[in-house]
Parts: sequence; C-alpha cells; structure tokens
Amino acid sequence: MSLAGKARFQFMKDVGAPALFALNKSAARKKRRPRPANPDFGPPLACAGRLKEIMARHYYLARFAKGARPVAWVTSGAPVELLRAFGYYTIYPENHGALCGAQKMGPELCQAAEEQGFSPDLCSYARVDLGHFFSRKTPAGRLPRPDLLFCSNNICQTVVYWYKVLAHYLKVPLVMFDTPFHFEEFTEADLDYMARQIQEMIPELERHSGRRFDEAYFRSVTQLSRDTSLLWGQCLATMKARPAPMTIFDAFVHLAPVVSLRGLPVAQEYYKILLAELEERAAKGVGALRQEKKRLMWDNIAIWYKVRDFSNLFASRGMNFVVATYTNAWAETIQYLNLDDPFKSVAQTYGLVILNNNLEHRLQLMSQMVKDYAVDGLVLHSARSCKPYSVGQYDLKRLISQRLGIPAVVIEADITDYRMFSEEQAATRLEAFFEALEAA
Amino acid sequence: MTAQPLAIPSRSHYLTAQKERGRKVLGVFPAQYPREILWAHDIAPMEIWDPPLEPGSAPAHLQPYICAVVRQGLELVLRGGAARLDGLLVPHTCDSLQNLASLLNDYLELPVPVLFFYHPKEPFRDSARAYYRRQLTILDQKLAARFGPRREGALEQAVAWGQRVAELAGRTYDLRARGQLSAPALEFYRVLRAGEFLHPEDHIPLLEEFLAVHQGPAPAGPVVLLSGVLPNPKELLSLLDQQGARVGHDDFLGLSRRLLFPASQAADPFDALCEQYFALPPCSTRGSALSQRLDWLKGLAQASGARGVIFYVVKFCEPELFDVPPLMAGLKEQGLATMSLEVELNQGVSGQIATRVEAFLEMLS
Ligand code: SF4
Repeated sequence: MSLAGKARFQFMKDVGAPALFALNKSAARKKRRPRPANPDFGPPLACAGRLKEIMARHYYLARFAKGARPVAWVTSGAPVELLRAFGYYTIYPENHGALCGAQKMGPELCQAAEEQGFSPDLCSYARVDLGHFFSRKTPAGRLPRPDLLFCSNNICQTVVYWYKVLAHYLKVPLVMFDTPFHFEEFTEADLDYMARQIQEMIPELERHSGRRFDEAYFRSVTQLSRDTSLLWGQCLATMKARPAPMTIFDAFVHLAPVVSLRGLPVAQEYYKILLAELEERAAKGVGALRQEKKRLMWDNIAIWYKVRDFSNLFASRGMNFVVATYTNAWAETIQYLNLDDPFKSVAQTYGLVILNNNLEHRLQLMSQMVKDYAVDGLVLHSARSCKPYSVGQYDLKRLISQRLGIPAVVIEADITDYRMFSEEQAATRLEAFFEALEAA
Repeated sequence: MTAQPLAIPSRSHYLTAQKERGRKVLGVFPAQYPREILWAHDIAPMEIWDPPLEPGSAPAHLQPYICAVVRQGLELVLRGGAARLDGLLVPHTCDSLQNLASLLNDYLELPVPVLFFYHPKEPFRDSARAYYRRQLTILDQKLAARFGPRREGALEQAVAWGQRVAELAGRTYDLRARGQLSAPALEFYRVLRAGEFLHPEDHIPLLEEFLAVHQGPAPAGPVVLLSGVLPNPKELLSLLDQQGARVGHDDFLGLSRRLLFPASQAADPFDALCEQYFALPPCSTRGSALSQRLDWLKGLAQASGARGVIFYVVKFCEPELFDVPPLMAGLKEQGLATMSLEVELNQGVSGQIATRVEAFLEMLS
C-alpha cells in the first residue's frame, strides 16, 4: 500500500466524497421535478435518501481504495468480520449483480460472459460479474480490482465455482470457508471444522494483507456486526404491525448495508435511523400502502428488474409483502454470535444460514413467519439462477398451502436476466393467485 | 477379430441377487463417497447416475432447469425404485444434489431412510483432513446403528478391495493411455461403469478378465481426452469407435476422478481412506483450483498422446459449466484442440453433434 494512495483515499473519504455528495444533492434538489405520487402508497420512507448516499459513497470510494487498502471481493454469506479485522475494503459482487439487475443491465452483462463461453444456464449474478470482468461495464462507475477473493459455500456451491474462475483470471488468491450443509443435525465435528478453518485463515490473511491479526479489534467488529444484524431484524419485525410500515420491496433495497457494510459503523448507524422511522410509522399507523387488504410473504431473492413493477402491481390490489425469507436471512442466525467464543459462534452463525440449512427448517421457518406476520398468501420466486434457493419450492408451496390453508403461487423467473422471464406466464399465474386470495 | 462384450448382469437382476444373498442395498447418488465403508457393512451400493427414464413424476418436484442426473434419479426413486432399496445415500456434490437430499428426506415421505455424506471442499487445510476422518467414522456409526455392527476385519477387507479395484482400473487406464488396450471405448466404459453397482467380489474378476481379453494394440486413429461428468449418451462413444479414434484418457467425475488413487500404506483403515480421498485427481465438485485441473488435463494429454479434448457436459451442470471456458482456453494455449458438447442424458447424439465430432476428429488426424 503506498503512502500517496492512502492519503488520496483518506482525502476522498473525508473531503472529496462529502463535498461531491453535497453538491449532487443540491443539484438534484434544484433539478427534481416531483414524481406524481402513486395513490396506492403511503408516504415514502424519509431515510431512503440517506441509504442511497451511503451506498453511492461506498462504490465511489471503492475507486480510490486500490493502493490505500487491501481490496477483497466477498460473497454475501462469508464471515466478513475476519476481513474487516485486516482492514480490507470489501466489494460484494452479488450486491453489484443486484444493482445491475435493478438497472436492467443483466442481459447485456450476461451476454458478455456468454460470449466468452459461459453457459446461459449459470447463475446470473456470476454471469453479470464475469460480464463486468470482460466488458468493464458497470453502473457503479468502476470496481477496484481485488487483491483477494473471499468466499463461503454456505449460500451455494456456485460461488465456489465462480470465485475459482475469478481467481484464475485475476491471478489473485482465493480464501475459501467450507461450511458443511446442515442436513439433519449440526454435529460437533461440523462446528469444530468451521471454527478451526477460521483460525487457519488468520495466518493466510496476515500473509495476504501484510497486517497482523488483532483479536480485540476482531471482537469489536464482530460486536458491531451483531448489533447491526440485530437492528436489521428489529426493522423487519416492525412489519408485523398492521398496516406494515414498509413493503418487502423497500426492504430489498434497505438490505444493502447489512449485506455489504456489515461490521462497519455506518451500517449500524443507518439501521438506527431506519428503525426509528419504522417504529414511528408503526406507532402512528402509517402504512407502506394506503390500504393494506392482504399481507403476503415472498420466498427467494428479488426479481431485481421487476421490483418496481411488482411493487406497483401488488399495491394496486392492496396487497403488501410484509415478510420474506431472503431479507430475514441477514438477521436469522445472528443470535448465535457470542463474543465469549467468537470463532465457534461465527462458525455457527454462518453455518446455519437458511441456504445451508435443510428444507424442513425452511418449512418450519416459513410456517412460523406466516403466523407471526399474519400472512394471507405466499409468492415463491423460482429463480433459475439459484438452485439452493429454488430446488424444493414446488413441495414447499404444496406443504404450506395444505397445512396453513393459504394460497401460494410459484413464479418462474430470474434474479437479473430478464430474458428468462415470461411476462404472460407470470401474469396468468398471478391472476389465478389474486383470485384465490381475494376469494379467501 | 473384435472380442465379444463381457457378460455383465443387469442392474435390476443384480440388485435382486444381492438381496437374496442377504446383502442390504443402498441407492447412492453421485459422486464421492467412501464405498468401502458400505461394503464393510455388507451393503451393496447401487449408484444412481443416469437411469434411462422418461419424465413422469419428477417434474412435479423439480424445476426444468435442474440437470438430468438429479431429475432422472428422482424419477427412479419416485417410480418405486426406493421400495426395492434399504435406503438412499446422497453425497454432497453440488447444490442440486444437496437440495435433492433434503427434499427426499424432509418432504417426500419415502419408505426408506435417506443418509447424507458431506466431504470437505478445497483448499484442504489440516482441519479438512481431521474433519473428513471424523465424517468417515460418523458414517460408519450411522450404518452400524441402522443395519447392525460390521464384522471384525470387514473394513480392512473392504479397503483392500477398494485398492484392488483402483489398481486394476489404473492398469486399464494406463494401458489405454499407452495405446496397448484394444477395447473399444463403448466396452471400456461398460466394464468400468459396472463398478457403479457390482460388488468388488464381482467387479474385480470382471476387470481382470477385461485386462486379459483386451491387452493389445489400440486403433491407430486420432487420440482424444474426454472430460465431463459421465460418458452418456453412449452413442458418442460408439461414434468415436466407428471413426477409429482412441480415447487416450478421461477426466470423468464418475470414473477417473473417483477411481484413480494410489493405495495408502496406512495400517488404520480410516487413515487409509482419508489419505486416498485427498490423493484423488482434481475435481470441480471438490472445489479444485482451475490451475490444478488444467495441469492435470495437460498431463493426461501428454501421457496418452491426445491432441484434442472433448468436454462432454451434462446440461445445467454448474460445477462443470463454470470450469469449461477457462480450461478450454488454457488447453488451447498448449496447442490442444478442444470442443465442448452440451448433452442431455440418454438422448442419443444428434446429426449436428455427430458432424461436429467427425470434423473435430478429422482435424486431429
Ligand atoms: S443467486 Fe443463488 S446460486 Fe447465485 S450466488 Fe446467490 S446464492 Fe449462489
């Protein structure tokens, strides 16, 4: 890391970025023509602007991170606390994939990867990322080249294959955290294996980052991470209120800091603001929708290019998504994090995430959510990209409908690649679902 | 004169015969699992890779974007296949098989137990070695709890069987690489793949006979390497045979990636199995680095004189599909010709694929 690089980064962080964002803000204020308010929605969340700023700043500063801080590309389920302890600037290709998906850049970037021989049947987050690697295109300006790749298969095996390809092309080291799938029982052997790996990764990361491990600092980061995820969980819990103070489509967006900035003070501060706003809305009975007639649950990752359309469509029928397995994933296992035994508890927290857990667990969890959030219907997004999230959904739909007596529908789509989405098929299925729901 | 194909019983008859002689039979999904531990418990593993079934009940449980190995395996189970077995074992190979294991265990109310086997992924740090050994003992205990304790010395015997199978398979591969095996590709894979269901007491003599019958000069045509999950559709093998090509080596998940390992000298059978697992060739499903796979393939090409590599990829197989583009690029840099074929299981070879393969072979000759 060069001294000049460090100084430049610090300057941009303390002076450049704040000045630029202040300027942008005032320009936007002058330019902004208020968008006509959609009568189906309640007042928008006031802190949405702050969220935008935080994420934009994160991507903006990333351009100056190279040379100032070691840079790592990380999977969303990896124990990032460990990297934070070594001062890594972290980029989440999945979050970047979601961003590209929301900006409808998915097909273009996927195609760039396909032109290099990658099959269109592969996860589109991976294709978007590889497409970005080949084409350099991104809505985020520029992503810093990583010094390290950090990956955990607790969300899928796909990330292992994908990161191996990145490591090969970028010629950078890949550090992998292997998390045995929780099939029936989570054995002592599984836990020991994961906890030992975390300890084994420390000298690897010391070597790669050129920094020494500071356990006290690691604990403080872990504490911060825990507090942030707990706050996120509290934000989601406010949606038990009727009417719910936000929709799950809002939550898909407000999820970004807990995914990408977990373990940093900015994420924790943000969720304090969000929680205060949501609690206030809930107390005053301010809903995300003006009329919340039905309450729904979402399963799987968002269909990023359809978030706005779906949000409007469901709102027009007075249907609000109040809970999702996806947004819950960053709060679900945090209770295991125990600072008295950080290695083992980090292992447990990350080893038991929903995608590394069995389908019986998913069924129980969703059934509980239906009760806790007073859910009237379930929408399952069968995401062509994501096998671990999608295999089992047909039976999940059947079992939940049968046992809890609520209507459910499966929508075949993809997270970012809208070439895989059939408007007609989705419309037909949703129409039948709406009918069943309205008749219930 | 070409030798007659060796006699191999059908899977179904063999299963019945195993049950009649008092053995338990476990249906095992792909790919890596310590079959010696099953043998030691007098359990015959009956591997489920590519049952030739038309879709029936499986599409109600699995999306169309799931690979045919998983879809057809589930089809077999749902069509009453499970009722003939004493249980199922699903190793942790990929996301689809991982969730299939859970689907079978948690939602489908099968009449038999479903067991699961997790093996560590690369990089293999010390913790991975310790963990794998523990996984072996846990599986051993689970089988004992369900099917009764194993006989004294049975595991040692099973390890010896495994090593003998590996030794014979190694010799066959070696002879083939040196052009000293006359067997056509179709027969080679029929005999090797019989190990997916034959007990070693039956597979060992079959391999010995195969070696005795087929030592001799191989066809002098172009030499290719095959890489992928398994040699299906087998019509591709027939096509290679008809074109006079020689398969110099393979890198199939179901074959060389599981079969070729040096015998461990460890006295403790668990230690031996452990050592052997970590000595297996690089594999996408175990998370091997691309550089390792590339070096491995280059080595196979060099040892067998292959000048071209055919990737024979099952549609929707993520572990393989990610690796193929960089592997192809790396092999090309070494002057090796490559081609990739995305295939559906048991669907034969289309005229278009046949033409591509013929053109590829012509280019190599
Ligand atoms: S979408 Fe699914 S398969 Fe793709 S990276 Fe995320 S968890 Fe893995």
